[in-house]
Amino acid sequence: MTTLITKTITKICIPLVSLFSISLLLAGHNNPGGGFIGGVMFASVISLTYVVFGLKYTKSFFNPSWDKLFGIGLLLASLTAFGAIVFGHNFFRSAVEFIEIPFYGEIELASASLFDIGVYFVVIGTLLHIFKNVGEDK
Amino acid sequence: MDSFTAIILAIFLPFAAAIFIPLLEKFLKHRIGWFAAGIAFLSFALIGIVAPEIIHGHIIQHSIEWMPSIGAEFSIYADGLAMMIGFIASGIGVIIMSYSNGYMSHKEDLPRYYQYLLLFMGSMIGMVFAGNTLQLFIFWELTSITSFMLIGYWRGKPASVYGATKSLLLTAGGGLFMLAGFILLHAITGSYDIATMLQNPAIIENIKAHPFFLITLILILIGAAAKSAQGPFYIWLPNAMEAPTPVSAFLHSATMVKAGIYLVARVHPIFSGTEAWFILVSGIGIFTMLLAGFLAFRQTDIKAILAYSTISQLAYMMTMYGYTSYHEPGLGVAAATFHLLNHATFKACLFLVAGIVAHEAATRDIRKLGGLRKDMPITFIIASIAALAMAGIPPLNGFLSKEMFYETSVEMGHIIGGPFTFLIPAAAVLGGVFTFAYSIKLIDGIFLGEKHHDHLPEHIHEPPYTMLVPAAFLAGLVILFGLVPSIPIHNIIEPTTAGIVLEEVHLHVKLWHGFTPALFMTIITFIAGLAIYTRYDNIAAWQDRFNARYPWVSVNYYYDRIVDGAKGSAKGFAGFAQPGSIKLYIYAILVLMVILFTIPLFMMTTQVFSVNLNFDIPFYESVIMILMVVAAIAAATLHRYLSAVIAISAVGYLVSLMFIYLKAPDLALTQFLVETLATIIFLLVIARVPQTFKEKIPKNILLRDIMISLAVASTVLILLLNATQGIVPPFESLSHYFLENSVKLAGGHNVVNVILVDFRGYDTLGEISVLCLAALGVYNLIKSRGEGE
Repeated sequence: MTTLITKTITKICIPLVSLFSISLLLAGHNNPGGGFIGGVMFASVISLTYVVFGLKYTKSFFNPSWDKLFGIGLLLASLTAFGAIVFGHNFFRSAVEFIEIPFYGEIELASASLFDIGVYFVVIGTLLHIFKNVGEDK
Repeated sequence: MDSFTAIILAIFLPFAAAIFIPLLEKFLKHRIGWFAAGIAFLSFALIGIVAPEIIHGHIIQHSIEWMPSIGAEFSIYADGLAMMIGFIASGIGVIIMSYSNGYMSHKEDLPRYYQYLLLFMGSMIGMVFAGNTLQLFIFWELTSITSFMLIGYWRGKPASVYGATKSLLLTAGGGLFMLAGFILLHAITGSYDIATMLQNPAIIENIKAHPFFLITLILILIGAAAKSAQGPFYIWLPNAMEAPTPVSAFLHSATMVKAGIYLVARVHPIFSGTEAWFILVSGIGIFTMLLAGFLAFRQTDIKAILAYSTISQLAYMMTMYGYTSYHEPGLGVAAATFHLLNHATFKACLFLVAGIVAHEAATRDIRKLGGLRKDMPITFIIASIAALAMAGIPPLNGFLSKEMFYETSVEMGHIIGGPFTFLIPAAAVLGGVFTFAYSIKLIDGIFLGEKHHDHLPEHIHEPPYTMLVPAAFLAGLVILFGLVPSIPIHNIIEPTTAGIVLEEVHLHVKLWHGFTPALFMTIITFIAGLAIYTRYDNIAAWQDRFNARYPWVSVNYYYDRIVDGAKGSAKGFAGFAQPGSIKLYIYAILVLMVILFTIPLFMMTTQVFSVNLNFDIPFYESVIMILMVVAAIAAATLHRYLSAVIAISAVGYLVSLMFIYLKAPDLALTQFLVETLATIIFLLVIARVPQTFKEKIPKNILLRDIMISLAVASTVLILLLNATQGIVPPFESLSHYFLENSVKLAGGHNVVNVILVDFRGYDTLGEISVLCLAALGVYNLIKSRGEGE
């Protein structure tokens, strides 16, 4: 599969799909998307580079410790859940707020988005952690 | 800062700090212990902020809703009792964590050690301030778990692992009995809230008159006794001494073992003043006090002596809390509380001394030690103060609380009358005699007499200041509380007692209180104690003969038999339930699924197929469906892994195409990506195995597989037919609620995602936790395969 065409296309795809995964994550509250799907999208682009260029090359330019990433995601998600308590609400009560930003228009700030970002990290971390271990296995 | 916030911070600060310890360790290196001590001090100070309010008789209560539908709340109930144990947990925490800087070698895994310590401290503080029984249970079990991790801190030592397992089985197991007791209390009162029960005389009357009264009391007491190593549960504490000595000082003398005593004090207003209360609590107490006192006297390891002596001292407190009767509502409560405080100071100090001795002389065996007073004069003085306080010698604090113990025992004997007039005080004195004997033995064995040069290093010297100062500080407290008892009495004991007996209390404790019966009992104690100590060899020889002849007169004997037996049967069960063939697991799962779906279906619907079948399927969709069927059959029949995997992913991609036609872009995208990733992982794996199926499947197995597939397929079909037509009468479709409220309550238009992150956020949190566990599981599976087998 490592023809010149796949290599070139993959290189173009990497930044585009990464950005797309982030846009999926942020759009999730109102449009198709969300933390899970965004995370899987990101994992898929990394796995694409893995299939095309091999594990060694992929690690050479992009090798965070994935196990830490899902730890951070889980922490973020649980802290969001506890956050409601700090403001005197039930555990896991979500909040939504609309803010007007000059020149841009109204944006929505939802505590659920933070939770979604946690999910995003967990999904990326988990999938790529599994990937790395299965791929490295001798 | 209001008091509620201060208490919340005091509880959660240690937890938060524990998270950051691995990060900070990179900068602080081996000085991380001072950071931990600082956090403990902050918790102490935070409790100090609210202390004046509590001392003035105000109870701080506040709660946050958690799961209101079942009455579980996160609530704080801060009275004198909670404040005292909170002070002990954080205050001794500061001392222990400072001391550990000298005790623990810099080469050890320090972040883990301090993380466990901080987590334990947070759990302990959380437990005492808990205002809800469920919350109390959670923190209670957290202390059991952190204690388990601390006892097993040296993972390589089999004795550590044995001790840790034993303590977890007994204390956490006891906690489950306690939970059952709390649930019964809820059944009686309809509340999990501690404040509601304590502040409502009608409810207390109701509990006492209820037929479940006795069983509830017994269940809760099992939890308390297991945690405080009372009665037959005492066996875990001596094995817990495998923990590092500062841990023993902290958990196994000053704080965690007092959790059981705390619980007894906490439920005192609810259950006390009844026959059952006196017989059970004081009965367990007296029995344990005598047994453990005798056993302590027999030990040769310093930490073993201290372990058994802790058990017997805790039994003093149990006994005194049990003294409350109809006539004397609060008898013994103040004495027990005072003894609790005193014990925390002198016993923690003794443990620290044990750590110093082991550190410097490289042994804890009292038969090899002796004559250290010349080499370590300061340690000798500190140890003597603490040990003499335990023995009950004036003017140290142990004398005061032991006098109160004798006084209340005499009074209790009078109240009961009959032969008990003398039996109860006599038992108390006998307990005191053993205490006196083993206290003397500690000092004599370590510091007095001749030095055994053949066992000990030539040059033994005083420990570094990081170890000496904490011990000296505790010894100072011992003297201070003894000479000026009014300080602890007015500031701590009176509010605490008030919190237990629920009325205002004024106490007068003085060093010299005249020629009372208690004083004569003390004098008898000293004489008899010395007499027994001189007869030590005879008693030891008698007990050795007894143990050799009757090995079954021992709780440990039964514990080991039960645990070993459980291991054997667990192995048998695992062999039966997990034969290791994936095929069998899948059979089990599918067959169970068919059964679980079909039975309710047949019970609820009278006519399974009476549905107006609507087969108006658009052309594109029917093409996709036919392709799916073809791909599925191909997946089942192809004989090369590679082609089979591709056929399976073809099914997946077709499903995702189907979702697009059904206007579910979310699902289509997810399905598409997951299918891709799954295929890649499959391909990674099959690159390493033979490319074709070698085995021939026998006819009958093939037939069975086909039968099961058909059963599953028809079940799903029937289920779908019913579900899509909405004809399952008792159930309504949930979608209306979510469609209506998704924008209104959560501000999101993507209903699927809103359900995931808002309405069912708890589920999602659980799911991503499972995801993390799955990743770790894969890691373990792959990494562990090479080792061992």
